[in-house]
Amino acid sequence: MTTGRRPLCYGAMTRSPQVDEDLAALLHRVADQDADAFAALYDRTRARVFGLVTRVVCDRGYSEEITQEVYLQVWQNAANFDPDAGSALAWLLTLAHRRAVDRVRAEQAATQRDSRYATATAERAADVVADSAIVREERRQVAECLDSLTDTQRESIELAYYAGLTYSQVSERLSANLATIKSRMRDGLRALRNCLGVP
Amino acid sequence: MTDPTDFELLELATPYALDAVTDDERAVIERRVAAAPRAVADAFHSEVRTVRETMTAVSASTALEPPAHLRSQVLAVVAKPKRQFPWRKTLLAAAAAVVIGLGAVGVGLALRPAQTQSTAEQVFAAHDVHTVSGQIPGGGTATVIFSRNKNAGVLVMNDVPKPKTGTVYQMWLMNDHGPESAGTMDAQQVGPSTTAVLPDLRNSTALAFTVEPGTGSAEPTTPIIAKLPLT
Repeated sequence: MTTGRRPLCYGAMTRSPQVDEDLAALLHRVADQDADAFAALYDRTRARVFGLVTRVVCDRGYSEEITQEVYLQVWQNAANFDPDAGSALAWLLTLAHRRAVDRVRAEQAATQRDSRYATATAERAADVVADSAIVREERRQVAECLDSLTDTQRESIELAYYAGLTYSQVSERLSANLATIKSRMRDGLRALRNCLGVP
Repeated sequence: MTDPTDFELLELATPYALDAVTDDERAVIERRVAAAPRAVADAFHSEVRTVRETMTAVSASTALEPPAHLRSQVLAVVAKPKRQFPWRKTLLAAAAAVVIGLGAVGVGLALRPAQTQSTAEQVFAAHDVHTVSGQIPGGGTATVIFSRNKNAGVLVMNDVPKPKTGTVYQMWLMNDHGPESAGTMDAQQVGPSTTAVLPDLRNSTALAFTVEPGTGSAEPTTPIIAKLPLT
């Protein structure tokens, strides 16, 4: 028991399992093409999906498109969700992250961003996620855990996960050899996991 | 017993789980995991799972409420389209021409017993599905979800105002030969959320919208009010 860290990890530890069981049940219904379950799933997960995608692609227009594609993929492939392989939210965010990274890399390869996104991004939206006490607590806790990493660990993870770089590119960017980068990522993830109380 | 290559493979679990590998590297890693001893493969999957659950917890810090219109766009495409049919009829004529051209392929499909996937479902399931959105002057958004492999797309219009009496919205697929009509929508057919199938994109590069008098025109007679690039 990590009693000393208990207050810090309270939010994520106590809340997630029940929430995720519900999401898994929704996903099973979505697999049966239940549109109501799909709407409920969207409402329960949209801020996480849209937020992660936006963090990666840094463009609201792209982010809206990718988010839409992610949910279409969910609608088509919900039957592929395997509760034994991970949580429902992790499954969903894995799809979202992969699509976002694919888009960023494709854009970087093409090095073009045409004007069509100007109209799509012009629209303002409520930037503030429902600011409940639980959400604030979760954010605070994650921020604290990220702060607890070393700078080099955090940088390696952020360049990979949010900037869409491969670990080889991270190693070039940070002028560190591959083995060093891999261990920074691994050690950083372990520290994060412990801090967040992920089982 | 783990040999050095197994150890090296396990070290790749974290970058793999973070999507910090190229497509080629991902394929190689997956092949190696599939061929690895059971214990190594289990350890690899367990690490991947842990990293993904950890980053899922971290996603609380990036949560961001999407714009409200995205909800109707996402939900509209999975709902059984109700308003689609009147407009679809106009498009079916164009689709029929293509079906004739398909010849043997069409026959092969027809012989399959349960070919129930609609064009829309095929588009959504396609590996190369793309989405493009834009605003319609006067209000509302138009979104096309399309697949080049399936040669088809689905148009979703949200909160687009009805065309004025005596006019229709007309959609045009733009290609090298100029605009080609992709159907019209009159005031009755335009609802708060309107869905339509674009069955034959061919080499079109954009979907354009004009307001046409009467029941539509053979070619655009008014300026294009919106254009979505299909690239």
